[in-house]
Amino acid sequence: MTNSSHAEEEKKVRETVTNFLLSSINIENLNDDDNLFASGIVNSLFAVQLMTFLEKIFVIELGMDDLDIENFKSVNATTAFVMRKKGWQKAEAGPS
Amino acid sequence: MQYLLTEQQKARRGDFKTFVNQNVEPFAEKWDREQRLPESVIALLAKLGYLGCSLPTQNGGHGWDTVTFGLLNEALGRGSSSLNGVLTVQTMVSKALLKWGSVEQIRKWIPMLAQGEIIGAFALTEPGGGSDIHSLVTEFTDSRGDSLVLNGAKKWISCGQFASLFLVFGKLGDRSLACLVPRETPGLEVEPIHDLMGFRAAGLAKLTFNNVEVPPANVVGKPGFALSHIAPVGLHYGRISTACSALGLLRGCFEESVTWAATRKIGNQPLGDIGMIRSLIAEMGTDLEAGSFLCHSACRAADENLPEAFEKALMAKYFTSRAAVRAASDAVQIQGAAGCHASSSVSRFYRDAKIMEIIEGTTQIHEHLLGGIFLGQVRRSLQ
Repeated sequence: MTNSSHAEEEKKVRETVTNFLLSSINIENLNDDDNLFASGIVNSLFAVQLMTFLEKIFVIELGMDDLDIENFKSVNATTAFVMRKKGWQKAEAGPS
Repeated sequence: MQYLLTEQQKARRGDFKTFVNQNVEPFAEKWDREQRLPESVIALLAKLGYLGCSLPTQNGGHGWDTVTFGLLNEALGRGSSSLNGVLTVQTMVSKALLKWGSVEQIRKWIPMLAQGEIIGAFALTEPGGGSDIHSLVTEFTDSRGDSLVLNGAKKWISCGQFASLFLVFGKLGDRSLACLVPRETPGLEVEPIHDLMGFRAAGLAKLTFNNVEVPPANVVGKPGFALSHIAPVGLHYGRISTACSALGLLRGCFEESVTWAATRKIGNQPLGDIGMIRSLIAEMGTDLEAGSFLCHSACRAADENLPEAFEKALMAKYFTSRAAVRAASDAVQIQGAAGCHASSSVSRFYRDAKIMEIIEGTTQIHEHLLGGIFLGQVRRSLQ
């Protein structure tokens, strides 16, 4: 994947994740590094709703190996997780 | 609501109804009176593949969609809420394990659960707390890394009296943990709970864990995720199952009531000609239709893996369980003294219906969650 197409995909993933979160959680402004699991922001169903959303929209399957709060704790973390699961890695720099 | 079903779903619904007519309804009163399900009927559910009907075929299940699963729960619930309880908890354990279990756990346990060779039970509720799952006190401690040691107790565990495998929820330090505990593990005591007002043959039990050693390989998922990810998957299917079971009970109340009202006479007129009786039946029939749509919607959302599936399951269970209580009360009222006697199934429906409002999340918990969801949606739209 070229760097420009990686950036493009990452932007789309970030926007999709952000839009879902803004429609799901009680927060007025959402920054990319805000901790989603901080007290009072999400209800007890949020974790499985987020899981189902990610599986449905990005056509990925989450399993026990993905159970790591670092994967879902913020917009940035969730975006990076989706990019990894999709195998959308940045192109390696070529030899100089 | 029939028009929403595929021809295959309609055909299976007919099969389920036939099964219940022949193998469940004639015996449900006896099971309730004796507070026991015979092994033979559970074996029959297993033989027909009903206990693993929604599990993938590659894991030994039928691979049926959730709509069909819902129709099966409705049919069984029409016959016996207690019997349907077996399907409920079997599915809760299986689905949670299938989603979050290791390859080895899935390979070892899922085929046996799918085929009904073993019965699973979902051990979440404790003597000190049911609604607040975050207040669990059942404790796992790490014993030199060789095994986990489990101490504590669980109560009101459906099918606990005859389950072979328990999915037990507790705490490892400050992290939630889910762990498979086979019945024969030393230190596990199972004490039957009798004399419930309803759901009497569902085999409820209290479990006591006295230094029960379980291998780390029995941990499902990872520590810290048992209450956020593992339990909710099981509870989701528990709600769908219970919603549809309550719908079946509601259907039973409706069918018994219309038959009674059409044939029973007061003076020279059928009971059904009396306005007050028609009011009760109108409400019952409309609740049945509405509940059918809510259950179907919840099942379809689960099949399509929609994030709103969890909300829809909450609504379905909330509605049908409350409607079942109303319908059962009205069904007894319509039948009068006859409705208060065990010879009428509505007397059992009345007792079983109340249980539906309490298991798999009480009505109040549903109101708390749904109210919060709906208010959150409005708040966000106003921002």
